[in-house]
Amino acid sequence: MIVAEQKPLEEIRRLIAPYEKVLILGCGTCMTVCGAGGEREGSLLHSALRVAQTRGGDEAHNFLEYTVKRQCDFEFLDMLEDRVGEVDAILSLGCGIGVQVIAERFPDIPVLPGVNTSFMGASKELGVWDERCAACGECRLDETGGICPITRCVKGILNGPCAGSKSGKCEVSSDIDCAWVLIYERLERLGQLEKMRRYYPPRNFRTIPRPRRIVSKADIDLGGNDG
Amino acid sequence: MYSAGSDAFKSDHSDGVKKTSFDHTLMPPCQDACPLHMEIREYVDLIAQGRVMEALQVIRDGNPFPSICAHVCTAPCETACRRGQVDNPVAIRALKRFAVEFGGDRMIQLEAETRHEERTAIVGSGPAGLSAAYYLRRLGYPVTIFEAYSEPGGMLRVGIPKYRLPGEILDTEVQRLIQMGVEIRTNTPVVSLDLLFDMGYKAVFVTVGAHQGLRLGIEGEESPGVVDGATFLREVNLGFKPSIGERIAVVGGGNVAIDAARTALRLGAREVRILYRRSREEMPADPAEIEQAIEEGVEILFLATPTKIAGEDRQLGLTCIRMELGEPDASGRRRPTPIQGSEFNMGIDTVITAIGQAPQIPGDFRLRIGRGSTIQVDPITLTTNRVGVFAGGDAITGPASVVQALATGREAASRIDDYLQHRYPLVSKDEKEALAGELLPKTIEMIRKLTRFEPLTVSPEARVKEFELVELVYDWESAINEARRCLRCGMGAEILFQDKCATCLTCLRVCPYHVPYLDDSGTIQIPADQCQACGICVAECPAKAIVLRKPQDRRQIDEELDHVLKSAAQAKSKPLIIGFSCQYGLYGTGALASLWRGAKAGIWIVPVLCVAKIETEHILQAFEMGAEGVFIAGCGQEQCAREDTAFWALQRMEKAKKVLAQIGLEPQRLQAFNLYADGEDPATALDKFTERIGEFYLASAIKQEVKT
Repeated sequence: MIVAEQKPLEEIRRLIAPYEKVLILGCGTCMTVCGAGGEREGSLLHSALRVAQTRGGDEAHNFLEYTVKRQCDFEFLDMLEDRVGEVDAILSLGCGIGVQVIAERFPDIPVLPGVNTSFMGASKELGVWDERCAACGECRLDETGGICPITRCVKGILNGPCAGSKSGKCEVSSDIDCAWVLIYERLERLGQLEKMRRYYPPRNFRTIPRPRRIVSKADIDLGGNDG
Repeated sequence: MYSAGSDAFKSDHSDGVKKTSFDHTLMPPCQDACPLHMEIREYVDLIAQGRVMEALQVIRDGNPFPSICAHVCTAPCETACRRGQVDNPVAIRALKRFAVEFGGDRMIQLEAETRHEERTAIVGSGPAGLSAAYYLRRLGYPVTIFEAYSEPGGMLRVGIPKYRLPGEILDTEVQRLIQMGVEIRTNTPVVSLDLLFDMGYKAVFVTVGAHQGLRLGIEGEESPGVVDGATFLREVNLGFKPSIGERIAVVGGGNVAIDAARTALRLGAREVRILYRRSREEMPADPAEIEQAIEEGVEILFLATPTKIAGEDRQLGLTCIRMELGEPDASGRRRPTPIQGSEFNMGIDTVITAIGQAPQIPGDFRLRIGRGSTIQVDPITLTTNRVGVFAGGDAITGPASVVQALATGREAASRIDDYLQHRYPLVSKDEKEALAGELLPKTIEMIRKLTRFEPLTVSPEARVKEFELVELVYDWESAINEARRCLRCGMGAEILFQDKCATCLTCLRVCPYHVPYLDDSGTIQIPADQCQACGICVAECPAKAIVLRKPQDRRQIDEELDHVLKSAAQAKSKPLIIGFSCQYGLYGTGALASLWRGAKAGIWIVPVLCVAKIETEHILQAFEMGAEGVFIAGCGQEQCAREDTAFWALQRMEKAKKVLAQIGLEPQRLQAFNLYADGEDPATALDKFTERIGEFYLASAIKQEVKT
């Protein structure tokens, strides 16, 4: 899941300053689950902005509030057609993807990001999220016992642990588990310690050619006879 | 004045159209078990908030004679109460009595107007008859009750001892019926139903009760000095003082046996023994009554039964035999069989037999009689073999409970109405689905165990000297604390907007009772039979997909806040302070009163039903509308009847504080009060808070001045 964090209220106030009528748009999927921009956070932000406005601000905004199931697909945004006509800007509480899809779908309306999209992760417990995947595009989790050294090792090294590993913790912070110790323990448990003994050549650190695209449908020519 | 005139009563089927409402509450087990289907959960909740008069209103809506039930109801609701699976059932009957006495039931006057010409007659003024009269009168029919004895009330008058139901209570209810226009003719035994029709009555409800004591069928039963329980109680209740001597044996194990034994003690008997042929486990009498009888000195000989009575008045020799329990019989209880050669004798002055009663229907009624001398009726329509004659109460069932009789009376009124209006009898169906299912062990484990408050009783030594009430009414504090024990079954949370649910698992993780779960298809379920209605998940759900089943619960804080903000705006008092204060427990009455400084002081209270239901938005909304300070007052973690409520209220307060800080408002403008905490008196703490808010207000006003 994509994890994000709502921007500080002050920054959001700065973003919306030029616009009078603002649609606060929540997202019903990842942003709801990570508590950054679902319907509740949307209405909370709405309340906070209104308090800010009445308590001393000079602003005079009008807010609308709405949450769609997903901001990253046109079809969900279509239902906003009637609403966006009257707004001056859309404050999106979706991740960076949502913000861009909105911009694409409504080319004439400014869209503002209400959250900082942070990482792809999992919830450790209620209200705590940890990064788990870097979307590097060449997954090797089978070799590392299902534990990703790219995201979970501070240095992202492929042949660990390094000398900074102390009693299972990373030298950077005692709150961080050494990913390579975790990998070792897990491989030991699986009886696959030989995977530890292998040398992994360096990853291809050249810049990922962006933007990436995945096409899953086959290219079919309906014109002629197949074969 | 409470008017019972125009509004047709609940079980009626006035227009046959089912009201569409968003009330998704399920019928709790207590209500399901109550023959009258009273809104028990509602009135218990109102008592827990100290809203006693409203509680009484709810009680009166569902029960024609609440004060009677408050004293003598067998309380099947308590047997069904799911609090019993956790510790002990909620003391519902005692709470009802509290509501009746503290809610001002005595002051309530009833009126009814006549809307129909057809006169109706009721034969017998027992609970079923009185109830039918009440409801027939509310439907607008002229009603006459015929009572054979000198005073109205049937078994309520002649069967139940005064120490359980004082005569004045019954008199008040009867008086109210007379006020409604019911005619009651005492000392008027009806010998023929034809006569009633000749007199112009269009429908007759026969509810003559079951007053005929069953016979033991043993030698010597005819001796003087042997009396049956019903007759004995009737004589005492009608004011005769039968001389019974000092050594009494009561035969039987039901409530009548217990009543007879305790009455005998109050008449001055020295040795009172109850002979019961089974063991205590099988004894049908109310366990609390058995306990009280034993406290008063009644001796119960279990597994014993008389076989022969010899001798003359006051010098009876009672031969008994010991019993043992064999295989279960048709009733499911183990069948007692005599142990050969275990006979023993005792010298007795009076033997009271209380092994059951049957109706005695005059042959001239020409009604078809069925099993156990009861009148045969259609169980749905309560019609008999004669046109226009309906029957109900003990006369059709054999001895049953008061509340059962009240329910049949109500039913009979509806059916008589159908008959007189030539309507096909539409049997009322419950609008609500009943809550099914037991509490799971994992839920039970998390539910806070709270001791049941028993109402005080007069000491056994004092009570056997007179016929005064044994059980006392709750004081204010005990009643409120007892009412707080209610688990509010069937009014918990539900995922109303399944399409909004992102299956984020927040509800599953915040629930203190481990109620929500993921089903096999990966959908979150909140089983209604487990939810404790604390409201935590409702306020935490990031998708706002969960609501409480009761519409009032959903809107309560919004509405109250709205109301307060409007009133405060009118009052124009500055600085304005808004306090969200829990209404449960003593907040509704005691401690809250000290926080209620009124409009002048600028402190406004938004009553909430537990602080766990306050959302961060509510707090921010208060600030938005001009509050300079906001506080939350509720129980601490230890005092709330539910788990984790204070924790979550504080979490949301912290969230609001963060917002305040970002806007440049001092987070100290927001404070929580735990009214039960040791140390500082909440009133003093509030004074300090008020003072601080005053300073903030002044400072910001100066800043504003400088700015302009």
